[in-house]
Amino acid sequence: MKDKLTPRNIILCVAICSLPWFLFGIDEISSLLLDQYRISFGWPGADYVLRIIVRACLYMLLAIGLNIVCGFTGLLDLGYVAFYLIGGYTAGILMSLHGVHYWIALPLAVVHATTWGLLRGIPTLRLTGDYFAIVTFGFAELFFRIVRNETWLTGGVPNGQLRGIPTPTIPFTSISFSQNWHDYYHILILLALVIFVTYRLQNSRVGRAWVAIREDEQAAESMGINVGRYKSLAFAVSAAIGGIGGAFLAQFQVSFSAPFFEFWESIFILCMVVLGGMGSIRGAMLGAAILGSLGEILRVALKNYPEIAGSRMLIFGIILVLLMRFRPSGLMYKKS
Amino acid sequence: MWAQLFEQLINGLVQGGIYALIAVGYTMVYGIIQLINFAHGEIYMFGAYFGLILITVFHIPFWFALPLAMVLCALLGMLIDYVAYRPLRTAPRLSALITAIGISIALQNLARIIWSATPKTYPSDDLPSFFVSGISMTGEVINAIPLPGGGTLPYRDVFILLIAVVLMIILNLLIYYTRIGKAMRACAQNATAANLMGINANRVILATFAIGSALGAVAGVMVGLSENVNPQMGYYKGVAAFAAAVLGGIGSVTGAIVGGLLIGIAEAFGADLHSGYRIAFAYIIMMLVILIRPTGLFGKATSKRA
Repeated sequence: MKDKLTPRNIILCVAICSLPWFLFGIDEISSLLLDQYRISFGWPGADYVLRIIVRACLYMLLAIGLNIVCGFTGLLDLGYVAFYLIGGYTAGILMSLHGVHYWIALPLAVVHATTWGLLRGIPTLRLTGDYFAIVTFGFAELFFRIVRNETWLTGGVPNGQLRGIPTPTIPFTSISFSQNWHDYYHILILLALVIFVTYRLQNSRVGRAWVAIREDEQAAESMGINVGRYKSLAFAVSAAIGGIGGAFLAQFQVSFSAPFFEFWESIFILCMVVLGGMGSIRGAMLGAAILGSLGEILRVALKNYPEIAGSRMLIFGIILVLLMRFRPSGLMYKKS
Repeated sequence: MWAQLFEQLINGLVQGGIYALIAVGYTMVYGIIQLINFAHGEIYMFGAYFGLILITVFHIPFWFALPLAMVLCALLGMLIDYVAYRPLRTAPRLSALITAIGISIALQNLARIIWSATPKTYPSDDLPSFFVSGISMTGEVINAIPLPGGGTLPYRDVFILLIAVVLMIILNLLIYYTRIGKAMRACAQNATAANLMGINANRVILATFAIGSALGAVAGVMVGLSENVNPQMGYYKGVAAFAAAVLGGIGSVTGAIVGGLLIGIAEAFGADLHSGYRIAFAYIIMMLVILIRPTGLFGKATSKRA
């Protein structure tokens, strides 16, 4: 494994951690060039770029979470967005309507999402393939309908809209996460935590059990693997990561509504996992980095052609089809 | 009270007829290649748009536009199978399923680009006059059957139900009394054995896609008569129709018809209780069927499912 403190990794770490300074540096250079020489190279501004990067990091987190069910245990989960939704609404409702502090709302959101992950697991444990996919899809759609219709739950605004979610502060200080670079470090820490946990799980007996279940459930069972327990664990961990993502989204967006969690969001995250290669954590991250920022990049690059930029989902659909046809194991193929 | 229930029942049956037409496409494809053809809802949506374009842009009379839309959709369905699914026949099932989702997204957004996301309606001037029902200036009910309790049943809805029933009968005759129907049943039972017996499985699958898509096109045009046409329509109706196919027992054509009618009625009564959860009733039924009785009402039990 390349998780050692090699010089390369240390440089990478420093680079990731100092990214905001680098971006603000470009901001300075850009404004300097514009002021003094009237040259513009189309730099959209560090704040904007940082926001895209934070979104991409959020998608990385979600893709890693989905990868646990889809990649490790080999079950097609079409309703991952449900846990994202549960995390987001739990944290959002607690923070905006009940004044709960973010650092209390975050674990509560995770616990809530995990609970639903386990509850969903009870009836779906014996399902595989298409039927599992369909039930997960229906599950997510039900949650989507609930937050859209039950306005008493979400503060009375139609369409499940939550407004005015307070920006969290660092405990015992008055420093609040008001800038995009705050959010950047925030998601970086969460992401690092999630990556660490999933890597450790993947390389433990749990991870090996998951892969065994994916390859052949009956064989795994006869080798003494408690299939039900390990599948439940996968559902729980995956749901918990979705919950973290949702809670982060709640404080990052300040205001959001039900359409954030439509079925297409599940498919979008699935696209990332498939693009990177199912079953590979780096693959999921790579896929998320590409697709999570592609939409925004296209929007900036194709500013003059809004029709093409607005149809990025078409491109995602074609990517899925072409990948399955020509490279079903994804960009980052991991030999096993 | 009873009059209102009766009206809901009629509405449900009309909706159900449309679901049955779509569900047949899902169930036939699943029966033969064990693939949930997610793109089928989009084929139905394209059917609605084809009908609209033929009528408004090419000024083709409705009675010619309908079969033409069926042919176009059949071609689209065959094209999808040929381009996307055929290369993956031997690939893992998950790959084919993801491909189907990809096709579905691509088609939906293609429609959004071509025809924009704004909902469109069929122009009532270009439709046969008996489809256009309403209440005249003198308070007479035009082109509709008055129901007890003050509601009306437009001739349009009667026509939708009739055409659904007629097509279902034709489909059953086709499956049980023709060569291609026999080949389809053979492939559904055991594709390898059918292949060994000299049946060209790929041709049979193409025919299945063509028939399912043509029926989807009929459903699309029928829905266009009473509701608006938009790129999202395939997704919502498609899922409900899929629920119908699951309820009836996926792989069974009779099951798809019965399931379609039941889902339609359940939705009509459900919408009466809470309109926001209208579609959710279909999802709940679908999930319960999968969890409790995965073979559905008419499906045959198989030893290995997945």
